[in-house]
Amino acid sequence: MNFPLSSPGEELALRILGKVAYQDRLPAGRLAPRLGITRGSVRGLPELHLYLTPDDRTLPALSLERLADWVEQIIVDGELASRIRAAVGASASYVDGCIRVRELVGQRLQQARESLAQHSGEPGERKEA
Amino acid sequence: MHGYAGKILRLDLTGRNVFVLDTAKYREWGGGHGLGAALFWEFCKDKTITDGRNPGNVCVVATSPLCGTGVPSGTGRCEVVGIGVGYDGISWFTRTGFGGRFSTMLKYAGWDAVVIEGRADQPVWVDIRNDSVTLRDAAHLWGKDTWTTQQEIWKTIGAPGGTHLPWRELDRLKDAKRGGKDQGRTTQLPAVLVIGPAGENMSHGSLIHDAGNGAGQGGLGSVWGSKNLKAISVIGTGGITVADPKALIQARLQLKRKYIASYEAPDFRQWSRIGPLAKPIVQGPLPTDERRPQSCQGCVNGCRARFNLGYGNESACQETSWYNEFIQKVATSPREFGEISLKAADLCQKYGLNSFVLQTGLPWLEHLHEEGVLGPGKQIPSDLPWDKLGTLEFAERLIHCLSTKTDVGRDLAEGWVPTARKWGREKDLHTGAMQFSYWGCPEHGYDPRAELEWGYGSILGDRDTNTHCFNFMFTQLSAAFAYALPIRVEPEDLVTIQARKMAPYAKDRPEVFDFSDANMYTEAVAQLVRWQQHYCRFWKQSALFCDLKWPDLFNTNAPHQEGATGSADAGEHVFWNAVTGDALTLEDGIAMGRRIWNLDNAIWVLQGRHRDQVHFAPYIYETKYEKNELFPFYLWPCRDESGKWVYTDLMGRSLDRKKFDEWKTIFYGLEGWDPGTGWPTRGTLEKLKLGFAADALAAAGRLGKEESR
Repeated sequence: MNFPLSSPGEELALRILGKVAYQDRLPAGRLAPRLGITRGSVRGLPELHLYLTPDDRTLPALSLERLADWVEQIIVDGELASRIRAAVGASASYVDGCIRVRELVGQRLQQARESLAQHSGEPGERKEA
Repeated sequence: MHGYAGKILRLDLTGRNVFVLDTAKYREWGGGHGLGAALFWEFCKDKTITDGRNPGNVCVVATSPLCGTGVPSGTGRCEVVGIGVGYDGISWFTRTGFGGRFSTMLKYAGWDAVVIEGRADQPVWVDIRNDSVTLRDAAHLWGKDTWTTQQEIWKTIGAPGGTHLPWRELDRLKDAKRGGKDQGRTTQLPAVLVIGPAGENMSHGSLIHDAGNGAGQGGLGSVWGSKNLKAISVIGTGGITVADPKALIQARLQLKRKYIASYEAPDFRQWSRIGPLAKPIVQGPLPTDERRPQSCQGCVNGCRARFNLGYGNESACQETSWYNEFIQKVATSPREFGEISLKAADLCQKYGLNSFVLQTGLPWLEHLHEEGVLGPGKQIPSDLPWDKLGTLEFAERLIHCLSTKTDVGRDLAEGWVPTARKWGREKDLHTGAMQFSYWGCPEHGYDPRAELEWGYGSILGDRDTNTHCFNFMFTQLSAAFAYALPIRVEPEDLVTIQARKMAPYAKDRPEVFDFSDANMYTEAVAQLVRWQQHYCRFWKQSALFCDLKWPDLFNTNAPHQEGATGSADAGEHVFWNAVTGDALTLEDGIAMGRRIWNLDNAIWVLQGRHRDQVHFAPYIYETKYEKNELFPFYLWPCRDESGKWVYTDLMGRSLDRKKFDEWKTIFYGLEGWDPGTGWPTRGTLEKLKLGFAADALAAAGRLGKEESR
């Protein structure tokens, strides 16, 4: 499963790096001992990547299955959605699944930046991991 | 009276008079909330007040005998009571609490509590130096933030160079009666409890002490603002006598040895409450690992941190959470995320704003903005820069407008649910777009549809209960599931061990921990809620054991997995008795908690409570806590159809309004309250030695009917 995703075209790359409408947001809370489950949402893959960054005090609180559907239907990136489903299916735990999805999303974001850079003739912008 | 300072300070702000009360008269109430409620009852002459900004309201800041003695996670808390501000319709007689070193310093100065009455005609602050109490002009402090105000007061009290003076001499103020151990001088800075602009403007006011100890829920910072009280500063050079210091130290050491994780070989996956090692409960990414643990005086926890960055010091938990959903939409790195989160927390501390309302309140405002009804030129006019949501700039604009009653803050100062009605958005309480679950308070993060004891306890009380007695089961269990770790204990063992601690209402009745659909409206759950309310009213809110650590019902660090609560070697009562010389049992304390809870209820009834009002926001009944909407599982112990205990996911259900109403009848019956009204009966009150409350209720025509036999 380590083969790369195919490079996104400009239109898809813009969606991957963009922000969806409020009504299309993905419910994504956070579990923190003492505070409980706080509500929240994600409106784009860059945000999702940051949201899934592991820490030792809290856990992301979202449905990974629903996330895959959201990527397929809202971001309209069927290839990434398939890879997310496969990664979640192969994961040893929910947390492992979150980590695997984060890696995939990180790769996809990088591909999208490089794709847009190629279209504009500029080097791809990098984000701090 | 071992453990007590011996005196209570009574401030009449209207007449600028200072009175001294003898603590001994109130000894039967223990301390903290019990002491505060008793003082409120005595000095608040109009208990029909429904808005804490009324000058007739009385606010009490109260310590416990344990404060300043070295009891683990039971030394540095302080309780504040009074009629609140900003809830839905009636703001109930309520409570809030904070940590730090204020309560200990108040006792070292010789005071167990401060009663605040009336309203000063001009802003004042109170300067307490041992027995000397002076009301000072606060005109130059009014308008200043909480940190600047504290620094200004520190300069006034013998520290013009900030912290550079090594000793503060209070010799000339020394009371000869304080004895030879009082040297009359200290290296400590005064402990200052203060309001910021939010409190001054009576809008979401929180009380703040040092950098990050906040008492937000209840809106008692707004009460101080209404009284023109900017701050209370206290510095003391005395001490507290402990009845049996050896027993106190032995119990503390035993707690460490037996119940707390070993520093040499820590068990990071332990299941316990008292057991974890010091760790900040900052909710966003930490911008640096360069930090020191920071805690309330005498605590073994260290739930906060001080960083090498110059921001975020002492903030933790809620104030580091409310904005994170939005920060992640703009931050480009975890470090930037953490920086915005902690700086937003700092702003809440400096403005003295109760950020708890923003936990579900800001998502609601965003919802209104996205629906196109809130914004420039919209139905709800607002100039908030929504295009910058998630940035520190937006956070500051929002905090400023809420603290100064500008923009949307003008309406919201009167309460969020009343504002929803004013804005024609009551439907949001039906759909769940606005998640203010009980009494106009935000849902905490433990949804009443799943976590019964939290929701039921909140709606039967005065506000979000914020008592974490049992929900460690959910967090530890869910975390274990999330990591696919072995479950540390089977559900039947967990509930059986915990039920051993549930005297007097549910000892050895594990069914009280059955959160299943079949059990959610039963007498068993009513007993669980009673135990929690009564335990908390005494041990947590009067003795002032910290909510983050107590009760410790189940503990994988300990032999047989029995927690420290109620234990013969390190239980709550062991510490209480070592300090006071009493001979209480855990159950005795719970009985005292029941008495205090009943006094609270008598006040609520005088304020206007009737059982028909005791209902959740409509969305709790009309919508389901959607499965897989957020966290993938919300696991609690339940019995299945065959009676076998299993950990069960409780998402996907709502509460049934009619069944909940019937459950209240069970609860009222167990409490000895009139099921028809929820009002206490004379018989119940007299059994609890609250005949004076029965008299007041009878005079008001609000005494419950005795059950006909």
